[in-house]
Order: sequence, then C-alpha cells, then structure tokens
Amino acid sequence: MTPPLAGAATNRRRFLGLTGLGAVAIAGGGMLSACGEEAGTSGNATQTDKLAGVVPNQGAMPAGLPAPDVPGTPPLASGYTAYPTSLIDAISEKPGTSGKEISAMTPAWGPAPPGLGSNSYLAAVNAELGTPINFSIQDGITYADKLNAMLGARDVPELLCIPEWEVSKLPRFADAAAALFEDLTDYLAGDKVNAYPMLATLPTAAWRTSIWNQRLMAIPNPTGDPFPLALFYRKDLFDALGLTYPKTIDELYQLAKQVTDSKKGVWATSDMFLMVQSYYKSPGSKTGWRLKADGTPEHKYETPEFKQAVEFMAKMYKDGLVHPDLVASRGADAKDLFAAGKILFMQDGIGAWQGMQAEQQKIKKDFNIQPVPLFSAAGGDPLAHGDWEPINWTFIKKGLGKERVEELLRIVNWCSAPFGTQEWMLRENGLEGKHFTDPAAPAKTDLGFKEIANQYFFVSGRTPVVFPTPETPNYVKDLMAYNNATVKYLETNPWEGIKIDFPASYNAQLVPTEDKITDMLRGRRPLSDLDGIVSEWRSGGGNEARDLLAKARSDAGK
Amino acid sequence: MSTSEITTVAAGSGEEPARPAAGPPRAARRKSRRRGRMPLRARLRRDWPLLLMTLPAGLLLLVFHYLPTIGNVVAFQDYNPYAGDSALEALLYSNWIGFGNFKTLFGDPAFWGALENTLTITAFQLVFFFPLPIALAILVNSVLSGKVRSFIQTVVYLPHFFSWVLVITFFVQMLGGAGLLSQELRQAGVTPPNIMSNPDTFIVLVTAEAVWKDAGWGMIVFLAALSTIDPNLYESAAVDGAGRWRRTWHITLPGLRPVIVLLLILRLGDALSVGFEQYLLQRDAVGRGAAEVLDTFVYHQSIATGNYGFGAAAGLFKAAVGLVLILAANRFAHMIGERGLISRS
Repeated sequence: MTPPLAGAATNRRRFLGLTGLGAVAIAGGGMLSACGEEAGTSGNATQTDKLAGVVPNQGAMPAGLPAPDVPGTPPLASGYTAYPTSLIDAISEKPGTSGKEISAMTPAWGPAPPGLGSNSYLAAVNAELGTPINFSIQDGITYADKLNAMLGARDVPELLCIPEWEVSKLPRFADAAAALFEDLTDYLAGDKVNAYPMLATLPTAAWRTSIWNQRLMAIPNPTGDPFPLALFYRKDLFDALGLTYPKTIDELYQLAKQVTDSKKGVWATSDMFLMVQSYYKSPGSKTGWRLKADGTPEHKYETPEFKQAVEFMAKMYKDGLVHPDLVASRGADAKDLFAAGKILFMQDGIGAWQGMQAEQQKIKKDFNIQPVPLFSAAGGDPLAHGDWEPINWTFIKKGLGKERVEELLRIVNWCSAPFGTQEWMLRENGLEGKHFTDPAAPAKTDLGFKEIANQYFFVSGRTPVVFPTPETPNYVKDLMAYNNATVKYLETNPWEGIKIDFPASYNAQLVPTEDKITDMLRGRRPLSDLDGIVSEWRSGGGNEARDLLAKARSDAGK
Repeated sequence: MSTSEITTVAAGSGEEPARPAAGPPRAARRKSRRRGRMPLRARLRRDWPLLLMTLPAGLLLLVFHYLPTIGNVVAFQDYNPYAGDSALEALLYSNWIGFGNFKTLFGDPAFWGALENTLTITAFQLVFFFPLPIALAILVNSVLSGKVRSFIQTVVYLPHFFSWVLVITFFVQMLGGAGLLSQELRQAGVTPPNIMSNPDTFIVLVTAEAVWKDAGWGMIVFLAALSTIDPNLYESAAVDGAGRWRRTWHITLPGLRPVIVLLLILRLGDALSVGFEQYLLQRDAVGRGAAEVLDTFVYHQSIATGNYGFGAAAGLFKAAVGLVLILAANRFAHMIGERGLISRS
C-alpha cells in the first residue's frame, strides 16, 4: 500500500499549508493508508457459446416470404428493392389477453411522438395487440442517464429497451440484470421458444449475446449491419470539382488538402480518427484488442499501426484540414456542416446515410453522399472494425408472474414479425391511407413522420433486412454494394462468444488515456510521448485487462 | 442556494450595515433578551402563522437536502446499487472500505491537476469577473431614463438564460477558426489568431464567456442594493462639493459593501465549483491539461464509470473545503466589521 502522499506531495502540502490544512492532511494521510481498500470490480468473463440449455433453438421463417433482390453475405442483412405485392398474415391470434396496459420505455431521437390517446398509430397497433402498450419515450442522446437513474432506483417498466451502445455505460449491469429483470431461460430455452414462432426465427448468435450471469435475460434485436462507422463524402461536390473518392491514404490526404478552402469557409473533414485507425489496420475487438503471433492479447495503443494512425490524424489537424468549429467545441454538429457543404468528408454511422440523403435532396436536387470504399494504408487487405452485437435488447421486469410474462412474450413475438408480413407493415409504416398512401411504395405522410418513432421496433427483435425507401430509390443497391464489399474484411474477434466485463481500473483509464491521445492529435503533446502514455496505461489497468482477456481465452479452450 | 442568497441579501441590504457594537453593550443586550424570553408555548401560540409559512421550505430542505445527505456514506463504501433487495438495503449491504476512496482520490495526480486548474480559474475570475457586475450596476444605475435603463438591463441579463452549448456556439461563430472574425481577417489577407483552441489563453476565454453570460445577471443583486442607498446622502454630499468620483467612493461603495462581502463569501464557498458543461464542451479543443476541473474530473472518474463511492468522496472533499472557506471568510468579514453571512447574535 503506497502512502497517498507519494505522488504529488510537494504540491499538495504547499497548497494545504496555504489554507492552513497542512496538519489535517498529514494526520489524514496516515489514517488513510492505515485503513481503506481500493474500490471497484476486477471484471469477469462469461463464456456464452458453451452454455447448454439456455439458448433457444433456431426456428424457420414463416412460409411464403419473398426472396431478397440483393442477397447479403450472411449474417449481413439482405436487401429488397421493392415491397412484396402480397403480405402474409403470420400471426392469427391476438397476443394480448388481459387487456391490462403494458408500460414500456424506448429511446427516440428528435421530437417525441404523441402519446397514448392522441396517436392513431399507437391506437392501431394496440388494437391488433389486444393489450395496449403505453410508451414512455426518452431522448436517445441522454438515454443512459435515464437508465442509470431508473436502474439505481430499481423502478423499471414492464418492457425496457436497452441499446447495445449504452450497456457499457451502465455500471455493474450484470448485477442490475439479476436484481431487476425476469430470467427468460425457462420461457424460451431450447424448444420452448416454439410457442413464440417469430422469436424462434432470431439467429442463435444474437441470443447468445443476451446471456448475463449464465442465464438468458433478454430478447435481442439483431443487427444486419456490423459496421458502426463509415467515411462519407459529398459525391455531388466531388463530381463538380472533377474529383473522385480516395483509394489510398496519400490520396485521402492530397484530396483533403485540395478541397480545403478556408477563405470560402470550406474545410475537408470532421474528425476521422476512428476510420483512420481502420485504414491503418489498428485492432478493434473488445475496445481495441487483438492477439499477437504468440497468442497473447495486444491492445491497439501498443501497436505500430495505431502510432501511424495517430501521426496521420495529427498531420490532418496540424495542416488545418479539420473544420475549426468541430475543433473548438463538442457542441458543434458535423452533420450540419456536411449537409451545407462546409466539410466534404464526414465520419459517421451508416445509419446517418439514408436520413440525410432523403432530407437534403429535397433542398438540393443533386445532393448525393456516398461512403468511401474501405482501403488499406498498410498493404494487404483492408480491415473493417465492427461486431454483430444486437442493436438493442428488450428486458422484462422481474416478478410479474408467469401469465403476464407469457403475455408480454407473445406481444414481443407479434412485434418481431419479419419483413413481408402484415404485422411488420403495420408496425413499421402504420395504416394505409393515414400514415402512408401507396402500399407498393409506402412513403410516410406528415402524420406518419409525427406519430411513428420506432416505438414497437425497440421492444422486439426481427430478422433484419434492408428495405426500400421510396424517396431514396438507389439507397438499397448502394448500401448493399458497400456492405457486401466491406464485410469480407470484417475483423475476426478472438473473443467471439465471450462476454467481457472489464475491470473498473481499466474502464477508469479509458477517458484519461483518450484525452492524452487527443492532446497528441491536436498538437499539444509531441508524438514521442506515446510510449510514456502507453506505459502509464499498462500499469493503470491495461495489464489487468490483458490478463483477464488471456484468461478468458484459455478458460474457453481457445 | 439562490433563494437563500436573495433573501439574506434583501435582509442584509435593507438596513444600514450594523457595525458590531463594542463589548459591553452587546453583553447587556443578550442579557436583557434572556430575561425577556417568553415560554415556548406562548411563543408557539404567537408565532404559529410564521412557522406554518416556513413549513413548505423546511420540507423541501428535508426531502431534497437533509435526507440525501445520508447518501454520503457511500464515500466510505465500494457502493453497489444492486446489493440487497431495495435501494436502501444497497446502502447497508455494500462493502465498507473505510477511506479507500479518499486514498484513491488523493493518490491520483490527475486529481491534483484538476484541483489546481479549478483554484487558478476561481482566483482569476475573482479578480476579473467578480467586480464587473458591480461596475455594471453602478453604470446602469447612473442612467437617468427609466426606459433606457430597463432596456439595457434586459439586454445584458438575457444571455444568462442561454445554455452553455449556445454560448459556446456563439463564441465559435464569432471568434472561432471559421467564425466571423477569422473569415474577415482571411479576406483581408491576415492569418487569424487561434482564440478558441489555445490552451494557454483558455482561462481568459472561459472568463470572457462567463462574463458575457452572467455579468448582467449578477448585476441585479447590486442594483437592488443600490436602490436602498438614501438619495439624501448624495444630495448633501453634492451640496458639500463632492464630485462624482468622491460620491461613488464615499457613498455608493460603502453602501454596497455588505452585499459585496456577502456575495464574496458565498463565492468562496463555491471556490471548487467553476462550472461543468462549459469545460466539458471545450475539453477536446484545449485538452485536459487546461480544461480539467474538479467537476469534470469527478464526472469522468465516477459518473461515467459508475464508481459512485469515489464521486461521493470527491464531493465530500469539496463540501469540506467549501465549508472551511465560508467559515474563514465569514470570520474575516466580522473582523473587518461586516455582518457577513452568518450574523453573530
């Protein structure tokens, strides 16, 4: 136990001495080292792919579904360029039997839709369900804050949506899941899932991610798109300049320099460090780990690839190629700048693509954004970061009784009907003549945009597809081409099928270390500091995480 | 906080600063009061409407301040919100780790860096921000036309109601690398200075932002205090031949002194809080070396990682330092003959 005064003793004594607290500090220092232990968990790993009798069996898709127009490399979602002419009726019975209102919480981005009683979309779906769901819609940006407060107070709704990207922000989530949510193993494991045929269609790999404490705790909403990010470019503006997208890292730099014209208020890009890491093939599994040739885990900070990525991005900042608004404040919005043509490259989620295209082409007719095809800056094949974790999980509140849980599962089952069914059509697009007009190309009406905000989507799972959007007819083909080309290069995760809860010390290191790297990127610290930063990171939790990851693999027999 | 601030201020500025009388009379006063004290029952009968009126505020204090204070015990725990069967049991069943959280806190060089930044910013703002609302209040008070005065007041205190995101966006749009100033300079062929992302001048920038946002708001209290100064004093001083400066020096400033001292004490009590959002938003722009203050440190080390015990320990430390500073400053105020925050009876 090192005395707490060791590191910063001179500074602190001087300061406390100034305020007359020196004596307290010295007395306190002795006392503190005499009693007290460090807080925080040391992390754990759950091997989910060897657990027997927990995961549901895989069932067949409902008969009569149309074949996709652009097949995706499984488990990549397939694409449809047109809506099927006839929809099948997958569920004939009303799932709700009690009629007792169900409470649920889901996220929404942008204005919240009207609630129960003033929303004809909710009324229509609830009538089909037989038992109404009353949604509490929360702002997606601050959803984790809401979840943390709710879990801490142990006051959860009957159906709770927890997005995948929020779970890491929920401390001791495994403890929370055990204390607050119904164990679904006895309802769904093995053949029991056949009582809910739509849930049975969900892939086994997605169910495996829904295991906490060796039990099945939630219903996954599988993703059909494993890539969190892409680098987009304004194809319309590039075409006008007679340029095309970059195919090498040098071209990327040259193009960025070429399109930057600060006098006109145009800069090349938003921060694209994560994509640059991907171009340099810096590892990305489980927050940035891979295996060395000798089988020991190695974090990206320790690799030469990461160092090269830092050097490249630092050069972009130094040469003033990143928009100054984005450099100056976290509150600045890269999407606005990109849409306005103030930046020509933008790193963002794939999900940003369709919405921005649909919105902006109304204002500017030839508006066209496209992802830059993935390339490698380090030779050989490119490396795509990503994973197949579900979009979100639906949890059921603990202690509702068997009957209610079964009713809730039937409701979730109804909401999980795949593309090509009447249930999907109603859930996704609402009522014909009200929320959309043409069933062959169901573009949402204003009422549709106002009332439908993925409410039921976020308390269900479904087999993902890329379905057509009437306002952006090229989108399906463009996206499928990008996805099918990129999925070949998806990084293999050495910890596939193992759930890792990292040690508290490792988590506490994340932001401070990222801050130091940001300092290097922005030129406030020399690049030569990287080695020192990495050794601090190693002793501050990095090595602890490495041991956990190594042990997880050897325990799993890998 | 703000309510109590205003009520005390009103009470404090309502009367002439009571100069503590010398020893003997005060002792006599205390004695006479004790002799004249009524029995509790009688006082209750007399004062019950007043007590009833304080009840809602008392309840608010109890529910939102005193009860949550119990939660401070997590500073001595490896707090797990899911231990036991209820939120209250979690407090009882979490592991007790003594001063472990404090040990981690005081052993972390990043904590001392954040503390140093916080104190530097507080000291800087005490000199360059604190006097501005006073000057502004005197300035506005000297405007004779009521219409012009209320217009100026509205304009300068409006920014208080903007969120920090808006204030910083406004600064970025004006002074940032792609902002109005930079673009004008570029058109004129001058390389624009780096204002928004220079860690060395960050302290000036945050103070400028704070002044723009809150100087007008801070002015209100001083305006209220100014309105209580007897205009006869100015008239007689003017008759005696005192000029504008002398009147400000000898009448206005002494009249404001109790309020200034009071607000100074309150500010000192808050010395370890300089704001949160403002620093979080500009953190990447200037780096944690310049922008890490205690509140952002606690956010990243405690809230973001769910280490609540650690955050509570940092909070307790802040509260203890704040209390010591308040008491010391109050003491000092008494020494220089002011009423201060807590009056002596």
